[in-house]
Amino acid sequence: MLFIIEDTINGILMGSIYGLAALGLTLIFGVLKVINFAHGSLLMVGMYVAYWAVILTGLHPYVTLIIVIPVMFLFGYLLQDIIIKPIFKAEKDVREPITVIIVTTGVWYILDNLSLLVFGPQYRNIQDNPLRGKMLEFGDMMISVPKLWGFCAAIITAALVYLFLQKTRMGRAVRATSLDRDAASLQGINQYKIYNVTFGIGTAVAGVAGVAIVPFFNIFPSVGVLFDIKCFIIVVLGGLGSIGGALLGGMIVGVIESVGPQFMTATWTEAIVYGLFLVFLFLKPSGLFGVKYDW
Amino acid sequence: MNPSLARKLPLVLVAAVALCLPLVLRSPTYLHILILLYLYAYLTTSWNLVGGFAGVLPLGHAAFVGIGAYTSTILSLQYGISPWIGMLVGGVLSCIVGVIIGLPTFKMRGAYFALATIAFAEGIRVMFENIDYAGPFQINGPRGLQIPPLNTGLSSFMFATKEPYYYIILVMLAGVIAFTWFISRSKLGFYLVAGGEDPEAAQALGVNVARAKLIAMAMSSFLTAFAGTFWAQFTLYIHPKSVMSLDISFEIAFIALIGGRGSIAGPVLGALLLRPVSDFSRIYFGDKLPGLHLIIFGVVLILVMFYQPRGLQEPLTRIYNRAMRRIFGGRESA
Repeated sequence: MLFIIEDTINGILMGSIYGLAALGLTLIFGVLKVINFAHGSLLMVGMYVAYWAVILTGLHPYVTLIIVIPVMFLFGYLLQDIIIKPIFKAEKDVREPITVIIVTTGVWYILDNLSLLVFGPQYRNIQDNPLRGKMLEFGDMMISVPKLWGFCAAIITAALVYLFLQKTRMGRAVRATSLDRDAASLQGINQYKIYNVTFGIGTAVAGVAGVAIVPFFNIFPSVGVLFDIKCFIIVVLGGLGSIGGALLGGMIVGVIESVGPQFMTATWTEAIVYGLFLVFLFLKPSGLFGVKYDW
Repeated sequence: MNPSLARKLPLVLVAAVALCLPLVLRSPTYLHILILLYLYAYLTTSWNLVGGFAGVLPLGHAAFVGIGAYTSTILSLQYGISPWIGMLVGGVLSCIVGVIIGLPTFKMRGAYFALATIAFAEGIRVMFENIDYAGPFQINGPRGLQIPPLNTGLSSFMFATKEPYYYIILVMLAGVIAFTWFISRSKLGFYLVAGGEDPEAAQALGVNVARAKLIAMAMSSFLTAFAGTFWAQFTLYIHPKSVMSLDISFEIAFIALIGGRGSIAGPVLGALLLRPVSDFSRIYFGDKLPGLHLIIFGVVLILVMFYQPRGLQEPLTRIYNRAMRRIFGGRESA
């Protein structure tokens, strides 16, 4: 019984990190109405930025946030401004910009393979990092410390993003654009600037997730793909565009992955996650907390 | 000379060159590259039936490749049934799976459809990786199946040289192109295009869009499975990551999108342009610049989406028509 509790707790912790990774995706979808296939790659870029920040400056892994967040925000902002915006403008009248999805897939391939080209295929991790393998012990239960910090980061980031959307002037403009981009434009909101900012914030959040993952995970060029499909599943489970939904969806996936192996071969849990995803797609495509969209 | 007939002349020429190529090109490496080129052109043309004409973005066609490969291999390994028959059985099975996938997913739009097809394909791959025995059938999980090259010959679909494979895939490619051409001129083809462009308007005109898409999906999955059997017989070793990986699904979609989806020439053009890039960059830069061809794919994809959203076939067709007109005269025809 204790095992189950321990696995559930660890699953929730890991799941909240998945949720953090998916948060940027759901934010970008909520406003741009585009599924960003390059999101896993953005996470990968965030992990590399954090890794090099630790290696080059010798900072504590979590302190690198002061470098990672602005770098990633700028990266996302420029990516959207230079590559995705022109396609958006060309497809202004299309309700679902499918070409944009294709372009983000291109970005995914370019980023993943550029990092393969530049950094090589080897797995990297931060040597002598103070958090690696550190455990908290509660009686017989072991809880991973870096995952606990990741959990805190997920909750704090989600709260900050929520506050930004609800309380600031820019946040209100973002929400208005997500509700109806044309009506928002008529109120004098520059929708393309809002898109840039949203993409920047989504990328910065992916960077935060990268920082949370780096202390206990290997960094390699295709690491994004591991999280990519998981992130899609999580955001659909939670409801595309919903912040709380992303966290909850992440925790569901995390718990299935960590409790499941008590009852079956570990690799089967992946099939269960896909099955759950398909059930949700068919029965409730709007997800747990998503707003009902017209499809 | 009749101008419309003259315009077809180069096509005949291309076909003749394709037929004679193995007589000139003795290097197995180049034949191998050409075979893979045709295989991808075949896969993409099959994909195009649903991804191009029907205007949706399926990203899970690797599942059908895998089903085709596994069906024929299991049948020939365990029951001694010729892969040619296994090919048909695999096609039928894959067709059934395609319809099962299509029934619920075609109600979704755009991104949701793409995600659902990815999930289906990955789910099927994970299942194959976890099952050693499905009833009496040995699947062998992640270790895959090996086909011992014992008796070569046409009936066992196994050859010691690459030439027979070359001609088989060439015939398959020609067949699927002819089939697509036929579909694009049939009522179904017009239904598909209408439903892809504007589903509401097509429905208002009385087109059963969902049914047309389902038929396209059935045909596409049926034909894609054939490529799986060919692949299995060509490489003689299959495992879930080799015949069902997401990379295959994405590469097919990339080729179609760059070449121009929804056209007949597009997939072939795309494969003709991209496969050599991929093969030669791996041959010459594979050790120093890994992943270079995928960067090129990505860049080309983005550039094509920027400047030629309908794919490269559009400007090339225009140039081709103009050149033909200049040579043979005659008026413009589409």
